[in-house]
Amino acid sequence: MRAAGPNAALGEAGFTWLSLKSGLGARRDNGLFSFLLVCIAVVAALTVTGLLILAVGKSPMAAYSALVRGVFGTTARFAFALNKSTPYILAGVGVALCFRAKLINIGAEGQIAVGGIAATWIGLNLEAAPSALIIAMALAAGAAGGAAWSALAAIIWLKRHVHEVLCTLLLNFVGVLLVSEALHGEMGEPGAGFPQSALLGRSAWLPRLLPGTDLHLGFLMAVLAVIGGYLLLWRTTFGFRLRLLGASRRAATYAGIAEPRCALAVMTLAGALAGLAGAIEVLGVHYRLIEGFSAGFGFNAVAVALIASINPIGVLPAGLFFGCLEAGALAMQRELGVPSSLVFVIQGLTMVLVLCVMGLSPRGRRV
Amino acid sequence: MEYVGFMDIAAAAVRIAIPLLFAALGALVSERAGTFAVGIEGMMLAGAFGGAIAVLMTTSLLIGLVVAAASGAVVGGTVGIATAKFRADQMVTGLAVNILVLGLTSFLLRALFGGRAPVIRLATLGTWPIPFLADLPILGPILFRQPGLVYVGLLLTALLSVFLAKTRTGLMLRAVGDGPEAAFAVGADPGMVRIAATVVGGALAGLGGAVLSLQEVGTFTDGMTNGRGFIALAAIIIGRWTPFGVLSGCLLFGAVTALELRAQAWGLPLSSYVIQMLPYIAALVLLAGIGRSARMPAAIGIPFVRH
Amino acid sequence: MLQMRGICKSYGSVRANWDVDFDVPGGRIVGLLGENGSGKTTLMKVLFGIIAPDAGTITINGRRIAPQSPRDAIAAGLGMIHQHFTLVDAMSVTENVMLGWDRAGYWLRPREIASLIARASQSYGLKVDPDAIVGDLPHGQRQRVEIIKTILRGAELLILDEPTSNLSPPEVAGLLDVMRRLREQGRGIVFISHKLDEVLEICDEIVVLRDGEVAGRRAASGASKSELARMMICREVATAIEKRQHDAGPAVLHVAKLSWRDEQGMERLRNISFSLHAGEILAIAGVDGNGQSELADVLAGLRRATEGGIELAGQDITDEPASKRLEAGLAYIPVDRATTSLVPAMSVADNLALRDFDQVPLARHGWLCAEAIAARAAQRIAEFDIRAAGPDAPASSLSGGNQQKIVIAREVGRRPKALIALQPTWGLDPGATRFVVEQLITMRDAGGAILYVSSSLEEVLMLADRIAVMYGGRLSKPIARDAADITEIGLMMAGAGGMSAAAGRSA
Repeated sequence: MRAAGPNAALGEAGFTWLSLKSGLGARRDNGLFSFLLVCIAVVAALTVTGLLILAVGKSPMAAYSALVRGVFGTTARFAFALNKSTPYILAGVGVALCFRAKLINIGAEGQIAVGGIAATWIGLNLEAAPSALIIAMALAAGAAGGAAWSALAAIIWLKRHVHEVLCTLLLNFVGVLLVSEALHGEMGEPGAGFPQSALLGRSAWLPRLLPGTDLHLGFLMAVLAVIGGYLLLWRTTFGFRLRLLGASRRAATYAGIAEPRCALAVMTLAGALAGLAGAIEVLGVHYRLIEGFSAGFGFNAVAVALIASINPIGVLPAGLFFGCLEAGALAMQRELGVPSSLVFVIQGLTMVLVLCVMGLSPRGRRV
Repeated sequence: MEYVGFMDIAAAAVRIAIPLLFAALGALVSERAGTFAVGIEGMMLAGAFGGAIAVLMTTSLLIGLVVAAASGAVVGGTVGIATAKFRADQMVTGLAVNILVLGLTSFLLRALFGGRAPVIRLATLGTWPIPFLADLPILGPILFRQPGLVYVGLLLTALLSVFLAKTRTGLMLRAVGDGPEAAFAVGADPGMVRIAATVVGGALAGLGGAVLSLQEVGTFTDGMTNGRGFIALAAIIIGRWTPFGVLSGCLLFGAVTALELRAQAWGLPLSSYVIQMLPYIAALVLLAGIGRSARMPAAIGIPFVRH
Repeated sequence: MLQMRGICKSYGSVRANWDVDFDVPGGRIVGLLGENGSGKTTLMKVLFGIIAPDAGTITINGRRIAPQSPRDAIAAGLGMIHQHFTLVDAMSVTENVMLGWDRAGYWLRPREIASLIARASQSYGLKVDPDAIVGDLPHGQRQRVEIIKTILRGAELLILDEPTSNLSPPEVAGLLDVMRRLREQGRGIVFISHKLDEVLEICDEIVVLRDGEVAGRRAASGASKSELARMMICREVATAIEKRQHDAGPAVLHVAKLSWRDEQGMERLRNISFSLHAGEILAIAGVDGNGQSELADVLAGLRRATEGGIELAGQDITDEPASKRLEAGLAYIPVDRATTSLVPAMSVADNLALRDFDQVPLARHGWLCAEAIAARAAQRIAEFDIRAAGPDAPASSLSGGNQQKIVIAREVGRRPKALIALQPTWGLDPGATRFVVEQLITMRDAGGAILYVSSSLEEVLMLADRIAVMYGGRLSKPIARDAADITEIGLMMAGAGGMSAAAGRSA
C-alpha cells in the first residue's frame, strides 16, 4: 500500500534527480508535482545566474561544467562535497519536521553552535578514553546540547506565548556568542592567532567512511537521519500527529492531540539533529572548535527544508544540492575566476521562486 | 570611569547605532503593517552596495543615498510582492532574499572591481558640529558633534513617530498590521499597503546600509552588514514596536558595542562576549515578562485573504 | 426612503431571492423575518453592494442606485452592522472611527473626533468611551462603536443583521432604545432577525421571507405570533420517513444542567438537560446561532462545560477529552468538513483512521500498522460505498457527498453507542443526503442513539422520533414527533413559544 520510498532514494547522491523522483513520486501526483516545480525553479535560477555570468564576459557552460567537475571531478572532491552537505541535511530534516507541524524553527545556527561546544568539551576532557567512546559521547553531547537549546526556545514560547520565531532568533545570537565566550575562556588555545580551541586528539576524530578520502562518518549519520525522519513522519503515530497539527488545528483537537507536547517534542528533536550537525563539524571537519563555524547553516537549513517540499526524503537531494553547489563553486572560482558567491544567488533565487509558487502550505502537497 | 571616557563611549554609541537605526526603522514600518522584516539584512546590504558604487562612480553623496534607498526598496518590493500577492511565507522569504542579496552583491563586487572596492573618502562624511548646540555640556559632544547622517537618523525617528501616531496614512498602516479585515471594510487594500510598507522599509534599510558603507567603514566588503539586520529585529522587540523604543534599542546595542571595544582597557569582570549577549537575553526576558507579545502587531505574519 | 423592487438572485438552481419587493420608509423600523436559508442575508448583501442581483432595482430617496461595493452603498447613505464586527482590537474607539474616514483629515484630529463621538453617544444613548481600547470592550459596547461609526458617516438607513445574537438581556434592551432614538431622528432601520419577541416589540412593519420569496407583510401592531411563525415555516408537512416503530431503549446519554460560557463571559448554553435513548433519533431544531454547535462541541469533548454533567452508559464523561469519549462509545459528526471532521489534504485511509490512529489495531508501540489501516479503509470503503480513486487518494479529490461518507463511515462504522450529528447533510446533493439519512436510520434501527441537530426543519420533521427546540442557549422539553405541532415548533424556534417563559427575559 505504501511505496518503497527510502530504498529507492538511498544509494543515489548528488545531482541525480532520479532518486528524488522515485522517492517523491511514490507519494502520488502531489509529490511529483512539487518536485517538478522545484526543478523548474532551479532551472530558472540557473538560467538567470547564467545570464549574470555572461554579463561579466565568461561562458555559463564553462562555468557550470567547472562547477560540476568541482564536485564530481575526483573522489576527493566528491567526498568534500558530501561532507559539506552533511550539516545541511541533518539540520534540514529537523527543520522540515518542524515545518510539518507549522512551526518555524530558525534557531539551527545557535543549536549547531551549542552542540559544537558540548562536543568539544567532551573531546578535550576525555582524551584518555577509547576512541569509540569519546566519539559516541561527544556526538551524544552535541545532540543533547542542541536539543536543550531548542527546547529552551520552545518552552519560552509555550509557557509565555512569545512567538517561536522571536525565541529561536534571539537564542541564535546568544548561542553563537557562547562559542566566542568559550573560546576566549577555558576552551581557547593560548597563542593561536585566531579564536579556536586546542586541536582534538586523534582518537576523537570521526572515522573515515572511505579510506583515502575525507568522507567522514557524519555523512552516513545524515543519511540515517533522512531515513529516520521519513519513517518518523509517515510510519509512526508521532508523525501522524505532526502532519495533522500542520494541516488543521481543529481537526487535531478533534482527534485528541495535545498540541504543546507535540510541538515541544518536535522542536527538541530538531535541536538534537542540529546539535549533532555541530558536533560532526567539530569532530569531522575542523577537529576543533572554531569561532564562527556555525555561520549560515541555520538559515540554509530552512532553505533546504523548503526546497525539499518539507519532506524528509527530499532533504537528501536538497541538502546535497546546497552542499555540492558550495563545494563546486570554489573550483569554479579557482579555474575560471567566476566568483563563488554566485551560488548564493542560485540558492536565493531558487528559494524565492519556490516560495512564490508553493509557499509552506500544503497546496497540492500530500500531507 | 573617567568623564572623558564616558563621553567618548556615549558619542561612539550614538554613531554606531545610526546604521542600525535606519534599518530598524525600516523594519518597523514593514512590521507595523504586518510583514515580518526578516529580510531587512538583505535590504541593508543592498543599500550599502548600491550607495558605495554610486558614490564611487559619481562622487556625489546625494546620488549615493538615492541609489542606496532605491536598492533597498527593490529588495523590499520583492519581499512584499512575494508575501502579499503570492502568499509566500514571510519568514522564509526574508531569509531567501538575504541569501540572494549576499550572493549578488558579492558577485557584482568581484565583477566590477576584481574583488576589492576602493576605499571611499568623502569630505561630507566628516563630523558636522551644530553651532551653539555642540558646546552644550555633556549633550553637546554626544549628540551634536556627529556626522551628518546621524542627525538625519534622529530626525527620522521623530518623523516616523509622528507619522504613525498622527496621520491618516499612519493609522491605516497600523490598521493593516493589527486588523486588516477592518481596513478592508473601510475600502483599503491591505495587500497593497503591505507591499508599500515593505518598499519604504527597504528604502530606509538601504539608507542604513549606505550609512554603514559611506560613513562608518568607508568602503564595501562582502557581507559587511554582518547580522546588523537581525540586531535591528531584536531592537524592535526591545523597543516594543514604537519608533522611540526602537531608538533606545539601537542605542543600547550601540552602547554595548562601544563598551565592548573598551572593556579590555578597563578590566571589567564581564567578558566582552557576555556583554554582547546581554541585549538579547534582556529582550528574551522582556518578552517572556510581557507574555503574549503585547505590542507585536496582531495580524503580523498572517497573509490577508479576501473573502 | 428605500425601495427594492423585483430583486432576484440565484446560485445555480437555488433561488436565494425571487421577485422580492422590500420598502423602508424614513423614520420607520422594518423587521425582516425568516429562518436560515430564507434569503434575508442575500437580500441585504444585494442592497449593500456585496453581491450583484440578477434582476431588480434599488431606489433611495427617489434616486436609483446600483452599488458595486460597500463603498458605493455607504456613499448612498446606507450603513450596515454585520454580525461579525470589523474593528481593530488593538486601537481605541476614536481611532477605529477615524480609520478610512475622510472627515478625519490627513493630520488626525482625535480630540475633535472624540467629541463628535461623545455627542453622538449622548444623543443616541450609545454610551461609549472614546478612549477605550476596543479589544477590552464587551460585545455590546463594540456593537455601539460600529453603530456610531455608521451614523457619523452619514448613514440614513441602517441595516442591523441579527444584532442581538450575542447580547445579554440588558444590552438588548439598550439596543432597542438606541433604535427608537434613531427612528425619532428620521432614520430608517432594517432589523433582520429570527426572534419574534424582539421583532414585535420594536418594529413598525414586518416582512417575512421564506425560501427566497416574500411570504407576507404585516404591520407589527396587529400581527399575531402564531401567524408570523406559520408564515416563517409553513410548508407541506414533510412525511416522516418509514421507520420501524419500536419503543426506545434505555437511556444511553444523560445530560444534566449543562452550561457553557464563552471567552467573553456570555452564557451560550443554559442549564440544558435531556436524555437520549437507545434506538431513537432525538432531533434538535432551531435557527443557527442559538447554541447548537456549542452544545455539540461540549457533548463531544471539544469544549469543556462550565457547569453540569454528561453521562454515557452510566460512565461520567464530563471531563474526558474527545478521544476518550470516542473510546467510550460517543461518536461525533461536526458540521465543517473542511477544517474539523476531515483533513482534505490527507488520504481517505488516513481520514478514516483520524480518531483512533494511535490505538491498537491501527498502531502498536507508536508505529502505525499500514496493513491494519489499509484493511479498515478497504472495509469501510466497501461498506459505505465511498467513491474514491483509491484508499490513498487525498480526501479533497472526493465529492462533498463522498467526503461526508468518510466521516460517517468513521464515526458510525465503530458501532458507537451514541452519535451526535451536527448538520450532517449540509452542502450535500439529494443523493448524498439520502445516503446519510439511510445510514442514520440503519444505526437507529440497530439500537444506536442519535442526537440530530439541524437548522432545517424539514429534515427534523422527517427523521425525528422526538423533537426539541434550541433557542437562546436553552433546550425545550423533547416531545414525540407525532405529538408535535408545527406552529408551536415554529414559535419556539422564534423564541415566542412555550420556551419564552423559560428564557427568563427581563424585557
